Amino acid sequence: MTMTTATATGITPRPPLPPREARKRRWGIALVLILATLWSVSGLNITFDRLVGAPGDAWAVLRQMVPPAFAKVYERGVVGKIFESVYIAWIGTIIGAILSLPLAFLAAHNVAPGWVRTPVRQLFNAIRAVPELILAVIFIPITGLGAWAGTLAIGIHSIGTLGKWATESIESIDNGPIEAVQATGGQWVSGMRWAVIPQVMPTITSYWLFRFEINVRASAVLGMIGAGGVGSELVSHLVFRDFPAACAVLLMTITVVLTIDTVSAAVRRRIIRGSTGTGDEASRSTEALVDLTGLKR
Amino acid sequence: MTDIASTRPTRPRPRIRTLGITLALVAFTVFAAREVSFSFSTFWEVWSNPLWEKFWPIPWEWVLDGDNVIRPLVETFQIAVVSTVIGCGLALPISFAMSPLTTPNRPTHLISRAVMNVVRAVPDLFWAKLLVTAIGIGAFAGSWALSVFSLAVMVKLFSETIDSADPGPLEAARAAGGRHTPVVRTGVLPTVLPAYVAYALYVFELNIRASVVLGLVGAGGIGRVLEAQRQFFKFDRILGILVLIFVIVWIVDQISVALRKRLV
Amino acid sequence: MIRLENLSVTYPGGVEALRGVDLSVGEGEFVVIVGLSGAGKSTLLRVLNGLVPATSGSVTVDGTEVVGASAATLRRVRSRTGMIFQTFNLVHRTTVVNNVLMGRLSAVSPWRSTLGLWPAEDREAAMIALERVGIVEKAYVRASDLSGGQQQRVGIARALAQEPSLMLADEPVASLDPITSRQVMGDLRRINQELGITTVVNLHFLDLAREYARRLIGLRDGELVYDGDIAEVDESTFQEIYGRAITADDLLAMGEERVSPNDG
Repeated sequence: MTMTTATATGITPRPPLPPREARKRRWGIALVLILATLWSVSGLNITFDRLVGAPGDAWAVLRQMVPPAFAKVYERGVVGKIFESVYIAWIGTIIGAILSLPLAFLAAHNVAPGWVRTPVRQLFNAIRAVPELILAVIFIPITGLGAWAGTLAIGIHSIGTLGKWATESIESIDNGPIEAVQATGGQWVSGMRWAVIPQVMPTITSYWLFRFEINVRASAVLGMIGAGGVGSELVSHLVFRDFPAACAVLLMTITVVLTIDTVSAAVRRRIIRGSTGTGDEASRSTEALVDLTGLKR
Repeated sequence: MTDIASTRPTRPRPRIRTLGITLALVAFTVFAAREVSFSFSTFWEVWSNPLWEKFWPIPWEWVLDGDNVIRPLVETFQIAVVSTVIGCGLALPISFAMSPLTTPNRPTHLISRAVMNVVRAVPDLFWAKLLVTAIGIGAFAGSWALSVFSLAVMVKLFSETIDSADPGPLEAARAAGGRHTPVVRTGVLPTVLPAYVAYALYVFELNIRASVVLGLVGAGGIGRVLEAQRQFFKFDRILGILVLIFVIVWIVDQISVALRKRLV
Repeated sequence: MIRLENLSVTYPGGVEALRGVDLSVGEGEFVVIVGLSGAGKSTLLRVLNGLVPATSGSVTVDGTEVVGASAATLRRVRSRTGMIFQTFNLVHRTTVVNNVLMGRLSAVSPWRSTLGLWPAEDREAAMIALERVGIVEKAYVRASDLSGGQQQRVGIARALAQEPSLMLADEPVASLDPITSRQVMGDLRRINQELGITTVVNLHFLDLAREYARRLIGLRDGELVYDGDIAEVDESTFQEIYGRAITADDLLAMGEERVSPNDG
């Protein structure tokens, strides 16, 4: 914040821009945006006829997808593969949850000293920056192809996101009970266990569930590079241009994902409501907040 | 003091239902762990695997070379920009169509909501692979895929904001008479615009990370380079690229945070 | 029991909270400290159990020097010192008895307490403490479901569970209505008389101070300006301590009880 010249009243907050200034600034940003878009579009060779042709190509493929070949796909064992994706997501989320929770305590500014906080926070950031797919790429040569590579990839990546969310939860609690534990002569660990955890567990648990929802999608994708799950089925059908089969796989995956989403959302609402007792208001804003902080990753 | 022991309440026993649910979850976890070949020893093996040596040292000359890496990275960036613009741009009207507050009529609302849910249920890379198959390999397909997904993400985030926006100005605008679109534009848009911008920047960050992996399915960008290197086991190059990506993402993060502070 | 010698506390921002305070409190005394907000009451209390570090001077509690003490020594002192807070500082989401058990943390190994495997004798101590303050029937109720007065009594029970030799109360009734305030102060006095625990209480309300104190300490701007028996205290004493005339805000209740019948 720049400081205006010292006035008699002391430090004044930055004054709102006069309308012309604000408008100029907004136009400036819009201009940058337009230029960037044009540059990108030209760089990607998005010519007009390609643009127009694309929906047509997509439509052609779409038409070939109907009717979806459910029976054929079922025989190939796609249901088992879908379940495999769910298992991968489940175990991966658990790994991420278990490893991220203790670390989150070390990263929160109201419970951990600075020299511990910074490396842990940077660790979270570093892990978050690497997409699960890349992690799987790294793990496959070491663990071999299959579900375990995918699980590890999801697990390790989740540590980053779950850690960040957990840290934020911990930092937003009422610090009073922590002081109370100190005053009774309790140790740091006891303070965490009795003053912090009861306050944050409902929110953190709902974050875990939310991450699980995201991870189910991630594990489906991981299959595409051979790290277990239904992705491999989709890829093989597409490669052989067997569109009805691909469509069937897609539809079945969508159904499972939607079901898990709905059930998980209901459970999350229940958890949050049970802890605050205020019902819909809290759950709604919690959902929005959770969405904001990490819908995709 | 009154008769002490008789006023003490008994300790509540854990409910059967809670126990049952916990047991079921544990059983499921054990089962799932076996299905994915979970093994504690892997953690140790992974750590001490000699393969890690192939990741070091990083061949910076190769990594920083324009053709090898920089150009695909630029392409990745461009994919992110285009996808964000298209996705967030379309998200604006669609969000308004989805929200009960501002939707013109009920069917529009229901249909949009259903479609968005389905779109969100499909993993982004599935879209990418589909489009690659349909349209052909390359960044073009990648942009389409990410645009669709950006649209879904943005609509979900943004419609929540619209739903919880102050209905006051909207009512006032409606009361003053006027057709639907101008009413929405003056009554709601100014209130939700800051949130829109914040979300758009966030989606942009997501897209940069996503476009990295797009290449793994042939949809252009740095991912293709990564996949190629992986097939030749050139892990040291992969690590170098990852470091570069990390730095770029970090820079974009910082800029985005700064921008968000100044705009909101 | 307590001995302060030339105690000074300056906070990192430069605020001098206490200046050269000399004070001596014997075992079993019931001392009330009054003073304007910012006079140093809270600081004085928190120096006694080391929650706030002293800048200079000496603080001896039950024979142990607190200033500059090691973490282990501080924990030992704190385990024998019970503290009650204005905002109760209970954990809302868990039961009353779990809150009281927190008083036994220093007596039980961290492993057992973390896992919640409290030994039988500690559970018994918690129950006895709850009986002393008269709310044992609420033992398994969620803390947030209690009224303010009940919550503070849980706070007292938590302190009692420590089997302390010193009780510190930082404005324990500031958030309570007149009837409940008198109940809580009555509990504190009763505990002091029946168990002989030295008690130091910060109070904001002067009429309450006169009702319950046996010895009155006055602080102003970080300095000790009054120390005497309650029998010798009158209106002018308070004016002396505050440095201004007494207003209605400084008194708990004008005349008789007015409020809620359901506290207790």
